[in-house]
Amino acid sequence: MSVSARMMIVLTVVGAFSGLSLVYMDKYAEPYIALHKKEAIREAIGKVLPDVAGAEEVHRDEIVIYRALDSSGGLVGYAFLAEGPGYQGTIQLMVGVAPDLRRLTGMEVLESVETPGLGAKITESSFKEQFRGLEVVPAVGYVKAGRKPAPNEITAITGATISSTSVVRIVNEGLKEVRRVIDFRAAEPVPLKEGGTN
Amino acid sequence: MEGRLVVAVSPHIRAEMDTRRVMMGVIVSLVPGIAVGVWFFRWHALALLASCLAETLSAEALACILRRKPSTLGDLSAAVTGVLLAMVLPPTLPFWAAFLGGVVAVTVGKQVFGGLGQNIFNPALVGRAFLMAAFPVLMTRWVAPGPKVVTAATPLALMKFDHRATPLLDLLVGKVGGCMGETSALALLIGGLFLVLKGYADWRIPLSYLGTVAMLGSIPWAFRPDLYPSPMFHLLAGGLMLGAWFMATDPVTTPVTKVGRYMFGIGAGVLVVIIRLWGGLPEGVMYSILLMNAVTPLIDRYTVPVPFGGKR
Amino acid sequence: MSRRPWYREYLKGLWEENPIFRMLLGMCPTLAVTTSAVNGLSMGLATTFVLTSTSLVVSIIRKLVPSQVRIATFTMIIATFVTVADLFLKAKFPAISKALGPYVPLIVVNCFILGRQEVFASKNPTGRSILDALGVGSGFIFALTLLGSIRELLGSGEVFGHEVIPSWHPWVVMILPAGAFLTLGFLVAAMNIIEERTR
Repeated sequence: MSVSARMMIVLTVVGAFSGLSLVYMDKYAEPYIALHKKEAIREAIGKVLPDVAGAEEVHRDEIVIYRALDSSGGLVGYAFLAEGPGYQGTIQLMVGVAPDLRRLTGMEVLESVETPGLGAKITESSFKEQFRGLEVVPAVGYVKAGRKPAPNEITAITGATISSTSVVRIVNEGLKEVRRVIDFRAAEPVPLKEGGTN
Repeated sequence: MEGRLVVAVSPHIRAEMDTRRVMMGVIVSLVPGIAVGVWFFRWHALALLASCLAETLSAEALACILRRKPSTLGDLSAAVTGVLLAMVLPPTLPFWAAFLGGVVAVTVGKQVFGGLGQNIFNPALVGRAFLMAAFPVLMTRWVAPGPKVVTAATPLALMKFDHRATPLLDLLVGKVGGCMGETSALALLIGGLFLVLKGYADWRIPLSYLGTVAMLGSIPWAFRPDLYPSPMFHLLAGGLMLGAWFMATDPVTTPVTKVGRYMFGIGAGVLVVIIRLWGGLPEGVMYSILLMNAVTPLIDRYTVPVPFGGKR
Repeated sequence: MSRRPWYREYLKGLWEENPIFRMLLGMCPTLAVTTSAVNGLSMGLATTFVLTSTSLVVSIIRKLVPSQVRIATFTMIIATFVTVADLFLKAKFPAISKALGPYVPLIVVNCFILGRQEVFASKNPTGRSILDALGVGSGFIFALTLLGSIRELLGSGEVFGHEVIPSWHPWVVMILPAGAFLTLGFLVAAMNIIEERTR
């Protein structure tokens, strides 16, 4: 047998085998991976909204929003994923917002690579708790440590202003998108000063 | 009589200067700065100085034993590293952290390269950079001068985050928050001039360094004086005086040629202004010098002087 | 082929041909993922799995592969096992998979895996190739776990998540890339000293 024929046969056989085993492996792993992903999202929704019994995905204009419902089927709020650049890499957040879209119910950091000891404090509860009940009208703001924050402001982490403001910016940008696609006026008669309507 | 008749191979010129003498000169010229620092921060400053010195000296001695080399304590370079390190650390830093900084400065900053003369980076700044990365919270906790411990922001941080300028007179005297070597610009200036006049340091680096910072710093200030600090503020605030006179003039880690030294000073000056105005940190002197240390071999390579009669 | 006793094929990977401390190969995962002992250990295990499986397959088919396409063949086999390992971790150990991030797929470019195929598995019988792969893999696990333990200890006062030094003030730098370079440098220096003194 000529060398080139052997080359082709060996590469084809090896390629076929690796392709087959990967198909098999992917079939095996795929449901688990999907399950973990769903689990992570459900867990995060439970953390950012109170008394969640279930959540349904709402797709609008390529934006995914989770409508969280309590056990009797009433709307407890919306949750959405938002991400943007932080100090070192992308920060991904799950943000919970009340049905009237005027108040946050919570914020959870899903992914971040901020500086350990400084920016990484955005994942600690002392920082995250500040978002619970935070007013988001007209937008979320922040103050430096040691000042008194307004009802729509959080206190930035000392030495990690960039990470803190990144979170604030990501939340605001996400809120803007959500306001654009959800008709909040149905639940809240007072129109907002800022933010788009449908 | 015998000793006088010994003839050695040329050259026969003997300079007065040796490492020990230069290092002694550096220590003497740092005295005014230390004195002001101790006056403002009292025992905090003294204790910090003592722990840094103790650690750099013992680390040097230990490194020499481990490397099976004769002790180099006598050349006083470890002492200079210790004093300089103490001057760039916050006065309230815990002793163990200062200790650690001293070990890193001498071992990682100098001895792993083969001792004094082989090191690429300024040892004291290596120690500070390590502490800065290891303990970012401790390293940015500053106190106001005085007998009582009151937290205070440094003038540069006030400027950067709050756009609040500190009076220039306070900067000159040193009545501001910061580390020992950042407080009194005047005391450091006196020491630096002594260093240059005695010929222990080359005036080209401080001149080009400070000049670049002043010139570049004045451009944004000319357009928006409300937003950007004045060139005088740039010169007097932060660690620029200490860095320009005492760290950027370190003969081991800076270029050997005259042109190269101008380049070093200008490069470091540009970096300081960029970091101060647009970087994430309020102060950029440390990183400007460390970065320029890194390009020093390159500068030396491109500024080799042409020997008399030689061709380019 | 080799006249060494069989157990030497395993032991040599632990010390004299240790991929990290003696050959300085595979530095990318070594520096990147050793922020904690668990991460170092799991990276080591994943890499050892890929290395051993690849060596097994390569040594079996070593006489069939024409030398012109051997690199392509080896790479394809490595890539297959890497993907298997990656999917398995994602499915069964999502936390570890998340912590190791892109470095699991990047095992494919780990140079000593291909290196072992070139210098050993493609020239030796199956049994010896597996021993060799396990030895080098163990050496890699040893190095990564040691590096991860030291960095975790200094960076947080813990090893494998258990508190070792109470109320330790963390050295943040040890968890950052700079800490990886420093620790590796000191470890390689220490290994060189040991090597020198025991010779």
